[in-house]
Amino acid sequence: MILRSIEMESFGRFHGQTIEFRRGMNLVIGPNEAGKSTIAEAVPAVLFGTDRLERYKPWGRNACSASLFFEGGGRTIQVKRNLITDEVELVERDDLYQPLSQFSGKAPLRGRSSSCREYRELLESLLGVADEKLFRATYFFSHQPQEWTGEELAQKLRTLVSGTAEVDYADILESLLDEHFNLTRSNPWGRDKQRDREYEEVCRELENHDPADTVPVFVEIDDSTEISGQIEALSAELVNDRLEYEKGLRYIEHVRSRQTTNVEMNPRTVQGESPAAGSAVDDDICKQLTVAGFPEEPPRNLVELLAEAAEIRQEMSTLQQPYAALGTREKKIPRVPWVVLLSICALLVVVAGAAWWQQLYPLQVSASVGIIVLLLSGWCGWRFTMSRKAQAACKAERGRLDQKKSAIQQRQSVLSERCEAQGLPSSPIDLVRLQKLVSANRELLENYWSRPAPVRLVDDVAVRDEPGPLEQGGEADSDEEVAHADELLDLEARLAEFEDEMSRKEGRLQELNRQLENLASSQRSGTAGDDTALRKRKYELESRITLLRKAINLLAGSVDEFSRSHLVRLNREAGKLFAKITAGRYAEVRLDENMIPSVLVDRRRWISVDNFSKGTIDALYLALRTALIKIRNDGRSLPLMLDDPFVHLDQKRLATALNMVDMASADGQLVLFSHNLELGKRAARERWHVVPLDGGTVDTSTGEEGGENAGQLHLL
Amino acid sequence: MTGLLGNDQIKALANEESVRGVLVRTVLEQAEDADSDELKLLENALQLLLSRFQAMEEEAP
Repeated sequence: MILRSIEMESFGRFHGQTIEFRRGMNLVIGPNEAGKSTIAEAVPAVLFGTDRLERYKPWGRNACSASLFFEGGGRTIQVKRNLITDEVELVERDDLYQPLSQFSGKAPLRGRSSSCREYRELLESLLGVADEKLFRATYFFSHQPQEWTGEELAQKLRTLVSGTAEVDYADILESLLDEHFNLTRSNPWGRDKQRDREYEEVCRELENHDPADTVPVFVEIDDSTEISGQIEALSAELVNDRLEYEKGLRYIEHVRSRQTTNVEMNPRTVQGESPAAGSAVDDDICKQLTVAGFPEEPPRNLVELLAEAAEIRQEMSTLQQPYAALGTREKKIPRVPWVVLLSICALLVVVAGAAWWQQLYPLQVSASVGIIVLLLSGWCGWRFTMSRKAQAACKAERGRLDQKKSAIQQRQSVLSERCEAQGLPSSPIDLVRLQKLVSANRELLENYWSRPAPVRLVDDVAVRDEPGPLEQGGEADSDEEVAHADELLDLEARLAEFEDEMSRKEGRLQELNRQLENLASSQRSGTAGDDTALRKRKYELESRITLLRKAINLLAGSVDEFSRSHLVRLNREAGKLFAKITAGRYAEVRLDENMIPSVLVDRRRWISVDNFSKGTIDALYLALRTALIKIRNDGRSLPLMLDDPFVHLDQKRLATALNMVDMASADGQLVLFSHNLELGKRAARERWHVVPLDGGTVDTSTGEEGGENAGQLHLL
Repeated sequence: MTGLLGNDQIKALANEESVRGVLVRTVLEQAEDADSDELKLLENALQLLLSRFQAMEEEAP
């Protein structure tokens, strides 16, 4: 991805000006205060927003906006920002100028809204960077320190691979280890293990208070905390138990009331033992049926009802066809064109009248008119008769169909009544839905229906809820009902047991509450209180140490993982670039586990970077950063921006440095901002793209461009 | 996944090609097989690490 142009509608000292860039090396050259830094700053300001608006807002104007155009891989990306309102418009287009993705909304620098998140995610996916600080740390080069050391370079690299602009992961690891080290001498990372820390001191104090108290590491839990935990768990359990108990009671009541109704409607006794029996309904099946969407207690004849409903629907649907055919036939019945006929007759009469008036063959004309009118009348009469016959036939057919329809509707209404009587929905749509449910849950329904029908105790008489297939009288029948009665008794017994269990739990809860109260009162007075405080502190320390250990292991593991997965590629990419910059003098670069670089010299010796000149270290740094960008952004790299980084270099070093950046730009795009007018000559020689600035105006004289995307934006 | 590990920003961090990205990915992987205690510890550890990253970044000049 290359930066094709910056359009500054109103930004700093620029108004309505566009600065274009090319692939490869670009030189923005001009004296101090010409606006070089403003142009450089326009890129992060447009992409991420700025908190230095006053610096870029033109004096006396209430507008400040600029746009960036990127190109690459057959796509263009335009980002436009109003820096006063932070309204951003981002559009990604393909090579046919069709939008691929876009964003429009507010996205201030430190915004946390969902709109900001959406914008940053889009930036990350399109340009590979969504953080302003990280962008600066990655793509911006300014004046470097006079001398680099290997450790400084390593720190810079560690910061970049950490995924942040300022944070070296090694510093975080160090801070966590320090904290751990201050808490306990038990240290898996090989530090001083002799001197006791706070954790060991607390354990020793506890031992002094109660010699029987052993000091297990990281397992003991403070009594009060444990009791509180138990109370919390038990309370939650009891709440659930009470709900279940009430549910059970309600259910038994419900079954009893149903049974009473059934006794009144269909009184029948069962031969057998008293007390009378009841029935048990499998809660699970009922729940599953309810969850599946069935009405409560689907009747046994549900399938039969639904089959009848389906049959009625089928008949209704079959009836539609003859109705439709009849409609078509009715439309095709020939009509007599009375208006046309009368008009023709009137016209003929007028013609005959005119013939009489003018005495032009009046007899012949009148006779002809008479014959024509007669013929027309005959045709109309025949047509009228045919039409009446066809209409009568259609009417008879419609009557027959209406009769059929009415019979079906009657069946439908009878079925609806039956459904309603059994607590089922009656509308055809609901019945279709129910039929689908039945098809999908046939097995579940079979289980539900195959369970014994509920019975209950009513005044020493066992009564079945619904007559089932086995209720044809006889010994087997009565045996089964007695068994059902036993089942209900069992259920009631289980409910009673459940009640006892609840009482026991309530007792235990009261006991725990008493214990907690005792602990609290002992804490308030005397040594026991000291013990409790110590135990509490010990528990806190253990929790913190466990957390620190986990965090240290996670971070150290992630660094190892990153090194394993990325370091080889980073070394390879940096080595290739470094060889290019140094014209093949140094071919390989290696970073150790702390990111300290060394360079292969004479193809056999690895030499630490500290032994090289500043120019070589600068070149290495440039190579490493460029390689890192390549890996991090996976081909979505933005241009490198060099803001007068060579300001302190003498002529010889400057020449070397320029060679270096020229080589580095070969694979992408590099924008060098400089006030050194001598660079202009070199730019002309090397055919760089030059943007000369002169006191706020831009002269866009350009050099040649080797890139394949040259000029595309103008065409668009 | 709910809580910190289900957070959109955490998911975005997991896509980073950086040490921080690897860290978040590791925690998310470990969380898949973790019981509730281990999950809590993982969440707290990640929170501690990310807050250190953030604090150091904010402290930086």
